[in-house]
Amino acid sequence: MMPGRDASLWRALRPWLSLLGERRHRLILGALLMALTLASAIGLLALSGWFITATALTGMLLAAGIAASLDVYVPGGGIRFFAVTRTVSRYVERLYNHDTVLRLLADLRARMFAVLSGLDAHALSRRRASDWLNRLTADIDTLDSLYLRLLAPALVALLAILALSGFLALWAPRVALPTGALLVLGWLGLTVGQARRGMAASYRQVGDLEGLRGRLIEQLQGLAELEAYGSLADHRARLAVIEARLYRDQRRLGKQVALGNALAALVVGLAMLLALWLAAEAWHAGLLSGPLMVMMPLAVLGISEALAPLPAAFTWLGATRGAAERLNALEAQQQRPATASFSGRPPVGALSVALTDVTLIHADALVPALAEVNLEVRPAERLALCGASGAGKSSVAGLLTRQLRPAAGGVRLGGVAVEAWPEAALTSRLALLTQQSDLFDDSLAANLRLGDPKASEAQLWRVLAMVALDEWAEALPRGLETRVGEGGRQLSGGQARRMALARLLLREPDLVILDEPFAGLDIETAKQLATRLDSWLAGRTVIYLVHQLGDAVDPPGIDRRLTLQDGRLCTNGQDVAG
Amino acid sequence: MEVPDAASDALTARRYLIDLAAGERRRLRLAILAGTSVGLLTIAQLVLLARFISRLLVEQASLAELVPLMAGLLVLLALRALMLYLQETLAQAASLRIRQRARRSLLDHLARLGPVKLTSRHSASLASQLVEQVEALDGYFARFQPQLWLAVLVPLPILLVVLLLDWLAATFLLVSAPLIPLFMALVGMGAERLNREQFAAVARLSGHFIDRVRGITTLQLFGRTSHATHEVHAAADDYRQRSMRTLRLAFLSSAVLEFFASVAIAVVAIYVGFGLLGYIEYGPADELTLFSGLLVLLLAPEFFQPLRSLSQHYHDRAAALGAAEGLVALLNETPDAGRLPGAAVPPPSCDALIELEAVSVTYAGRGRVLGPVDLTLAAGDVVAVTGPSGVGKSSLLQLLAGFVAPADGSIRRVEGLSLAWMDQRPLLIQGSLADNLRLAAPDASRDDMREALARAGLGELVSALSQGLDTPLGERGAGLSGGQAQRLALARVFLSGASLVLLDEPTASLDAETEGYLIEALQALAEEGRALVIATHHPAVMALAGRRLALEAQATVKGGGP
Repeated sequence: MMPGRDASLWRALRPWLSLLGERRHRLILGALLMALTLASAIGLLALSGWFITATALTGMLLAAGIAASLDVYVPGGGIRFFAVTRTVSRYVERLYNHDTVLRLLADLRARMFAVLSGLDAHALSRRRASDWLNRLTADIDTLDSLYLRLLAPALVALLAILALSGFLALWAPRVALPTGALLVLGWLGLTVGQARRGMAASYRQVGDLEGLRGRLIEQLQGLAELEAYGSLADHRARLAVIEARLYRDQRRLGKQVALGNALAALVVGLAMLLALWLAAEAWHAGLLSGPLMVMMPLAVLGISEALAPLPAAFTWLGATRGAAERLNALEAQQQRPATASFSGRPPVGALSVALTDVTLIHADALVPALAEVNLEVRPAERLALCGASGAGKSSVAGLLTRQLRPAAGGVRLGGVAVEAWPEAALTSRLALLTQQSDLFDDSLAANLRLGDPKASEAQLWRVLAMVALDEWAEALPRGLETRVGEGGRQLSGGQARRMALARLLLREPDLVILDEPFAGLDIETAKQLATRLDSWLAGRTVIYLVHQLGDAVDPPGIDRRLTLQDGRLCTNGQDVAG
Repeated sequence: MEVPDAASDALTARRYLIDLAAGERRRLRLAILAGTSVGLLTIAQLVLLARFISRLLVEQASLAELVPLMAGLLVLLALRALMLYLQETLAQAASLRIRQRARRSLLDHLARLGPVKLTSRHSASLASQLVEQVEALDGYFARFQPQLWLAVLVPLPILLVVLLLDWLAATFLLVSAPLIPLFMALVGMGAERLNREQFAAVARLSGHFIDRVRGITTLQLFGRTSHATHEVHAAADDYRQRSMRTLRLAFLSSAVLEFFASVAIAVVAIYVGFGLLGYIEYGPADELTLFSGLLVLLLAPEFFQPLRSLSQHYHDRAAALGAAEGLVALLNETPDAGRLPGAAVPPPSCDALIELEAVSVTYAGRGRVLGPVDLTLAAGDVVAVTGPSGVGKSSLLQLLAGFVAPADGSIRRVEGLSLAWMDQRPLLIQGSLADNLRLAAPDASRDDMREALARAGLGELVSALSQGLDTPLGERGAGLSGGQAQRLALARVFLSGASLVLLDEPTASLDAETEGYLIEALQALAEEGRALVIATHHPAVMALAGRRLALEAQATVKGGGP
């Protein structure tokens, strides 16, 4: 690998390593528990070997009639001790480290969520699809194993090699040093070497899986057209290309892992034989007793437990790196408009709105979403902005709420450029009913209180009455504590719409933007709602975003209407007063 | 092993996994063979190791005398590494082929089910089934299956060797042997429960996270993002506390296995040590030597190792079973008999393209959704299909396209009738504009494509693009508006030259301009002599049609001209 690639790996992982660093005490303790388990396993085998050799040699002396004695209780106790600590520390280690990993997961999720909530609509609109969300959670889970699969085992293995070499060096440095050097070299091969060999292929895996999924979705959604045109086989061929690439990489990675595992076995075996040979030499030279001579290769054999998990984990380092890079890229997009310094205060009361020569281009779009739009709304005026879906209505709402930034032109609220508004003032004085009624998997009360966290129960009932949901809510066995399910799925579309509206009614905004306020409502309910809404809207500037007027129930009190088509305002006399 | 449920002929998850494994029996067997050799080579290696030590310490052999033994050890070491490599790569190759085959047969099955049977399923979740769930089978074939055999095949020769060395030590191992199935069950139960609960809890937690992310714009608008961040953390932390309670129990089962493996080593070491000192005066203990004692000690952990590996791979089995259940549910859905390969359609009597005679369509659970209907279409016919929603307009088009087979009546169709299809959600594939057009006509020239685009009202847009036909469309056609996508689908119809064009509500949710283009285009298509069948509510489209087929609930009324 080139140094540049090493540096970029480091850059990709650094933010996540520093996030891990916040829990460093737990991580260190967890690694120590792993080391203790390993030490017990090595100790058990090495001491047992020592004990058997010592007893055998003593037994031979005794048989030859030579007086000899051996303290069997200390090593016997040691063997029992290692047997117990190995079991107990393994159990405690697994439990403790799982707890740590779950804590890290909570940290990672919260951090990612904070990043996402800093994204603007440009970045978010491209990322609505649920499969993207699935990938995001998968990426978080991948990073979450950074500690348990990669860092801790590698460090513990290195530590174990060094500690073992040090321990053996107490008796025979000439055995310990070459053996230790061989093991360290092997460790490097199993970590750094495996990572290098697997990097490119494992890095591609997630992307190829994504590509495969994308092609599959195309095929399933477009099956009617593909079958009618007889081009299903062509499309299947496109799919097969991605699958072939995916599996070529998997085969390569599988071979790398297998090679790594064989290498691990080879390294431990060779180190064991080296220790055996050198210890035998030392024994011949009278530098080492028989039991110690046997202990050495057996202790080296115990290291295999530490090296075994390394090849698979490090061959797939590229996948972790990919996950980290994707999440880093997301973080880099976090660029909600910085609030420019604004010396004065935005005017009080109903706000005027002015768009001057606004052009808006969504990323990836072939044509601008809004082109040179000029629009003015007077304070307390009610404007209906009409247009087919995709004409640019939601883009206007996005600009006013600062979810989107124009490529050219200016947006002013109350005479103040929207970029200059303090965030808190903007959220409190603007209210937007989005086209989609986003409800959260929580209680009715919690969903309503999004509008005003301090709202009293009486206030909640008041707004429910305004949207004619009070009788329905009263009839529910758990009342306001009823959960609405994922995305509000337990509610009908019309109920969800009215909940979203009720949430808005808890606020006291000076500019209200309502995107299809009566969508999904029956005519009776819509009429009822229109009357109540009319009085609440009094004294506020209002922009209605509607597909078409005159179809069903129109929003109340429209002063003026404008039509958007393909991102341009129609000027051909469609503006009507009153 | 698992006995399949013979009583029902519906495919079960276990049966499915067994069937899949059967296709790669040879490779899997070779992998098991290689794994068994690894075990045997390990035994041989340990025998030589014990021999080396015994020769050195007991027989006081010189280093030169030990060279052959050392050489033998080196050879065994290399062979063992090779076998290890073979075991893994063979199992890996088997798993790859199995997954590839499984995905291919699932895709075939989906194609046979056809677009209509798949509408009830969410395509994104179906796609992730075909990606993730098929991939989730990997560990089962690559690791668990071979290890299941090795857990039996490797301990047996070890036991045999120990028995030859010292029957009492072998008895220690043997005593634990009947306990092994018990551990297995314990470990298995633990792992399975762990997996089930973990799966459910993880899904719940992900659900919570996704729920909050989906509504993030709303949270931004209400200025509640920092509060929601705390909530996300709290939910994950709550999950941690609850799952730690179950993990405490679940980890116990593998701790038991670990405990027995450790205790076996300790017991063997102390027994052998005391035997060598002559403290044990019964049984074979007085025959123990350094060689046999050391070898018994070295073999004891190897006896338990395959089982420990198996318990590590147990979650692979649980994951594969879970995935197989989802896939089997899909495979158990049966396609219409008329869509199976080999179902032939007779040609129509006169010069018609297609004839329907008293055909009706029924859906399981919904009863009859269309018909009986009679319809004859010849080249140049333009038929508007009208009626309230839910009356079967789409079903009629699907029937004409062959996506569904009729429950009653007969269809006669010209052999090799070429079709074009357009509905409200046109297919846009990731690729260039040209790739998207070629879906309808793989061999179309660039001039043909430009002309088709121009006729569909996209000529201006394409000539304004710097890359023209090679402009890439992002994922899911990102970059095109709804109206533009619809015009692209129309260009495909032009390009295809299909003689029968089926259009399902083509004007719904279109802006006035695109609508205008579309109506002009339909006129042009009819003038080319193509037969058009259009399900529509739109008065202008109806006016275009030469004939009108008004469908009513449960019966048809055939109308004349508009």
